[in-house]
Amino acid sequence: MSSPDARVSEAVAKVVSEPRRAGWRGRLRGVDVYSLWPVAVMILIIIVTSFRSSRYLTAFNFENILSQIAPLGIVTMGQAVLLISAGLDLSVGYNIAFSSIVTGLLLEHGHALWFAVAVGLLAATGVGFANGVLAAQNRAHPFIITLGMSIFLFGLDTQMTGGAPVNDMKGLYTAFGGNLPNGFPFFGLPSLTIPLVVVVVLAFVFLRWTPLGRRAYAIGGNEEAAYLSGIPVKRTKIYLYTIMGLLVGITGMCLAGQINEASFNLAQNFELESIACAVIGGTALFGGRGGAIRSIQGVALWGIVQNAIVFAGLSSNYQEMALGAIIVVAVMVTRAQR
Amino acid sequence: MWDRRMLGNVGGSSMVTKTTSTPLLSIESVSKRFPGVQALHEVSLSLHAGEVHALVGQNGAGKSTLVKCISGVHPPDEGRIVFDGDEIATYSPRHAYDLGIAVVHQRPPLQLSMSVAENVLLGNFPTLARGAIVDRRRGIEQTRTLLARFRLDIDPSVEVARLAAAERQQVAIAKALYRDAKLVILDEPTAALDAEKSARLFEFIRDLTAEGVGILYVSHHLEEVFGLANRITVLRDGELVATRPTAELTQDEVVTLMAGRRLEAIEAVPEAIIEDRPDVLRLERVSTPLLHEVNLSLHEGEVLGITGVIGAGGHELARVLFGLVQPESGQVLLGGRPYAPHGPKQALEQGVFLVPEDPDKEGLVPVLSVATNITLVDLPAITRRGALSLRREREIARRYVHDLRIATPSIDTPVRSLSGGNRQKVLLAKGLAAEASLLVLEEPTQGVDVHAKAEIHQIVRELAASGKAVIVISTDIRDLLQFVDRLIALRGGRVVGEAPVGETSYAHTLDLTVGAAGARAS
Repeated sequence: MSSPDARVSEAVAKVVSEPRRAGWRGRLRGVDVYSLWPVAVMILIIIVTSFRSSRYLTAFNFENILSQIAPLGIVTMGQAVLLISAGLDLSVGYNIAFSSIVTGLLLEHGHALWFAVAVGLLAATGVGFANGVLAAQNRAHPFIITLGMSIFLFGLDTQMTGGAPVNDMKGLYTAFGGNLPNGFPFFGLPSLTIPLVVVVVLAFVFLRWTPLGRRAYAIGGNEEAAYLSGIPVKRTKIYLYTIMGLLVGITGMCLAGQINEASFNLAQNFELESIACAVIGGTALFGGRGGAIRSIQGVALWGIVQNAIVFAGLSSNYQEMALGAIIVVAVMVTRAQR
Repeated sequence: MWDRRMLGNVGGSSMVTKTTSTPLLSIESVSKRFPGVQALHEVSLSLHAGEVHALVGQNGAGKSTLVKCISGVHPPDEGRIVFDGDEIATYSPRHAYDLGIAVVHQRPPLQLSMSVAENVLLGNFPTLARGAIVDRRRGIEQTRTLLARFRLDIDPSVEVARLAAAERQQVAIAKALYRDAKLVILDEPTAALDAEKSARLFEFIRDLTAEGVGILYVSHHLEEVFGLANRITVLRDGELVATRPTAELTQDEVVTLMAGRRLEAIEAVPEAIIEDRPDVLRLERVSTPLLHEVNLSLHEGEVLGITGVIGAGGHELARVLFGLVQPESGQVLLGGRPYAPHGPKQALEQGVFLVPEDPDKEGLVPVLSVATNITLVDLPAITRRGALSLRREREIARRYVHDLRIATPSIDTPVRSLSGGNRQKVLLAKGLAAEASLLVLEEPTQGVDVHAKAEIHQIVRELAASGKAVIVISTDIRDLLQFVDRLIALRGGRVVGEAPVGETSYAHTLDLTVGAAGARAS
């Protein structure tokens, strides 16, 4: 009875209404393919640079990159958590220095390593707590509060050291200055790989599987709605900034141990670089979206670009230019995928 | 441009006589369609210089669409608008403004951190040295003269942020008049004002009309309209019902025209119905700055509608119930026990859930998924030994998405990509996930299509049938009548009427909220 046309359209309708079989896209459910763009760019850079130098594609070089990005990676995890909650911390650079100086001075005065490290971590965590209390209580933007804290800490850091670095980090250098043993399971990787991997895993778990992490997303996505959903907004913010303080302290120990020095300019530009890396990885600057894996991709890309520029024989000024360009591209990519 | 009002009585009475024959504004069979709605159907209206013409009608009658057509926001689909002798050729807010049409909104968009003078003269501030330097003193002088002409006692050098709502309203009008507006459209200008401030505004309006300015006055408050307007136009469902001189109308007649049916005799406020079922909620003489001795009770499984115009107290009542405002006096009993929550967290813990007025701003986290939004309200429910159970979360989300028929590609879809009706359902799902025994819904059907409205009605009925108590707060009386058991009318923060839905009518309730009956009851 039915005309060929009608039969065709019936068939089309059937195909269209048939539930689609889950293909490779279906299996990647929950993973936004676009969010992996830094990986693609990294592979591209690695291929291009490996043609330029035979020394590039070596374990030694990649270990070098890893040890360079590890401290920034740790602090970026904290920054990502804050950005997700629509906050941020501009005091991380001088707070890293602060914790290293506290520990360094205690070591210089002959205190035990465990004690010096504990006090150093506590000092940075205390600064984070103070940031949190101020950011939660005031209506002022955390930008201003943590900027003020940063300037305050700069003064405090230089006052404590008189501008001169503390030059012997003793046991910390032994722990973080070198490489892990060769062979299984550490393969001679830089010592800082362990704190980095632990922090990234914890940040991932924190954001995905803890109520506090969930609260960070909700506050960043819509603070008013979060409050009306019964979420203790102020308390959550204080927790998040305090966690950031602790991560800053860990970064301070790692960095000071790695180069065997504590000084006020130990971690210059870490505040902006950590924000930049998180954003490059796809963490939203104004909250609600992002994650640990995305943000660490940003750090890795930054490390690989820096290193490739050295191999390309360009001056280090090009590193900053590249970072600037990557940030702008990253923001455009993130916007486009919405 | 600074001419007649600044320099003396040049305009005034001569203008009025000149223009009474040809109207200042003439709207000729204007129609406007939006997808699915005929917002305006062949509406014609004229307004003379020096006249106050009131525009009244229920929500959705087409008042704001008409205002938007006149002010150039929406071009009409059919018909034309003639202003000051010329047909409006291009419809844009800028063009309307240049022609001399000024709209003063309920909450005027002023620059709060700038002075009154800077706001009034924005973009036209007098300058020195060929525009290089702002002449602050002269600007303030000009503004002072302008304000003085309208007997406004406002210091032009003060920051707008420090002014009261009424004064801001006046600054907004002064700003409109500085640009030599011939027609001023006032949209619910007294919504934020008390009686004394309103009286001052009316005086001001009369001064303007004496200057030859035409006023289009959009309001819900019939008393005001009757005290002020020369003529009244009633709109209903996008059609013009009547335009008549105020002297030939009574308030009851206007309410009848708005409602579209003859008004039944107005009965006394019926007593609360006594039910066997236990009270879930009881308010005893609850007062806040915006509520006056409100009494009400709600039974298990009942849907109570609360209506009134904007500012009548419905929103304030919702805030009290959710712990956002604490009553100054009186008490609230929830399940027979005193209930005085401080903040949403405590309200939720005691089984009260609020679907706020603006779901996107206050209710949902748009970038997060449907599942995350639903379970956000009770994270402990999906927490197992300190960690979130994503499996449990998905189970809960799937159940409510299914139960409430939320149309979403998946439970992982961000809520911002859902339709208005489905976003509203996600909020209801949150209420279910919170295991609330009392749900307070503010404007649950605002901005959703007809189909979604019907679904929301049905869901609310189902919730009630499952034993939950529901309060629906809405300005849309007709919508409420379709799905609530009992209706309470508020006016000026007071309960002015209460009746089971079967014993009340749209017209009666409307009369309570805006008309003479409500004025008597309050």
